[in-house]
Amino acid sequence: MASTKPLRTTSPESDVLVKDAVETQKPWNVIVWNDPVTPMTVVVVIFKRIFGYSNNKCTQLMLAVHHEGRALVWSGARDRAESYCVKLQVAGLQSTIEQDN
Amino acid sequence: MAGSKLFVRRRDGRIEVRINDYGRSIVRGSFSSVLAAERDPDHEWHVVLSGPIDPSLDHDNPIAMLTRQNETSTNAELAGLTVDEQFLTDAEAWAWLTTLQVALRSTVQTKGLLSDEQLASCDEELLTYVQTLQQFLFQLADCF
Repeated sequence: MASTKPLRTTSPESDVLVKDAVETQKPWNVIVWNDPVTPMTVVVVIFKRIFGYSNNKCTQLMLAVHHEGRALVWSGARDRAESYCVKLQVAGLQSTIEQDN
Repeated sequence: MAGSKLFVRRRDGRIEVRINDYGRSIVRGSFSSVLAAERDPDHEWHVVLSGPIDPSLDHDNPIAMLTRQNETSTNAELAGLTVDEQFLTDAEAWAWLTTLQVALRSTVQTKGLLSDEQLASCDEELLTYVQTLQQFLFQLADCF
């Protein structure tokens, strides 16, 4: 005779735990910092090559770095943020990652 | 050298290098310095090349740091191997651009040239070196 007991149950507690876990996974931001010597066209070329963004978007990001001292150039999973940050540093731009507030 | 193009993208996709012997000597020195800095922890540029990925942590992800070290060295090696070439492939030109940019940023950071005012007041030889690298980078970027 088959048991009437369900094999898996979902308690209200586990629902709450899953919800919390999702909410705490904030995206990681890749930040590029300004310096006084890098030619603007070099920054645009590096953004295009690494992210594949349009010329307009790369120019906007470059101007944001230039005028505001820093700009958020990509946001998402931590491992990809680290990978992009490394690529930017290898290309000679000052870059760091930080978790979104 | 002013007034004429130093790097020209040809129809076959290669990039022609038109810098003279003096320019090549500056480029060669920059490539050598980047490679030496990546390999020598005591080199004055090493601290710039090993900057933090995530400043909120005491230690960065070692795999990411090793990747950065390998890629920087690979670019500098490729750039050094092609420093006397007249024509560069796209990958070789990219290695030139990234290595020159690393050299430029390492120079200004280690010399404390962090503002336009500090740059304007530095000695003439250093200023000429910085401006030469900027000119090479500006023109090479135009080929991409």
